[in-house]
Amino acid sequence: MEILKINYKNIYYPPGGILMWIIIFLELITFGMAMVALVFYGSEQTELFHQSRLQLNTTFGAINTVFLLSSGFFMANAVQQFKEKNIQKSSFYFKLTMLGGILFLILKSLEYYHKIESGISLDTNMFFTFYWLLTGFHLIHVIIGLVILIWTNCGMTKQNSDTQIEDVEACAAFWHMCDLIWLLLFPILYLIF
Amino acid sequence: MKKSLVFTYGLLIVLTLVTALISNADLFSDDIILLILFFSSIKFLLVAFQFMELKKANPFWKYSLSLVLGVLVLVIFLMK
Repeated sequence: MEILKINYKNIYYPPGGILMWIIIFLELITFGMAMVALVFYGSEQTELFHQSRLQLNTTFGAINTVFLLSSGFFMANAVQQFKEKNIQKSSFYFKLTMLGGILFLILKSLEYYHKIESGISLDTNMFFTFYWLLTGFHLIHVIIGLVILIWTNCGMTKQNSDTQIEDVEACAAFWHMCDLIWLLLFPILYLIF
Repeated sequence: MKKSLVFTYGLLIVLTLVTALISNADLFSDDIILLILFFSSIKFLLVAFQFMELKKANPFWKYSLSLVLGVLVLVIFLMK
């Protein structure tokens, strides 16, 4: 079994590529600053933020965390199988990864539907302005991640495919970034107020 | 399927369940927030180091990501 080797210890070649990691850092810092702003306003309007937080469905949030973590687990396996040149197995794990992402989207849509039904919108109060913006931007990242997954999966399963391990790792890094953002977003929005 | 990935996944799920349980526990508010942020940080690092294979990367990337996470969590805890 031949395993592809890349010198990850080289500062210019982190797994996923240096450009993808620059994007990841920028995204984390941007979302991080928005979360700091949320906590800042939360410390000024404690009761409002607490009452608003109680209107969020923590169970939905926890299940969505499990969906994204499972999806990330399958993505890591997909990369491993691709490195071992088991393209069919890698493609199977890609599809399981996508399933996790789609389940996340379905549950998130259900959560949004309930909020809209209850008359909760972007201008309900400061907490929900942050809720819609932060979860909305995260959702856009998940949708873009899904498109990248579908694109990469189609490319790697084609005959005479020119998809390289660097492409699969970059795709995986973007998908895991959605996990990382959610792992910070979920406790801060749904739990700590 | 690599054993280390399966172990990491199991640990992530356990930490998610523990976080969900302690968020409803009858503890002092600051203790709960600290625990929730601590477990979330562990999960964040597990995904980055194991799933994203940052453990194999140059130390620059490991320390940079840990620093960004540390500063963010610290600022959030102090402001809360």
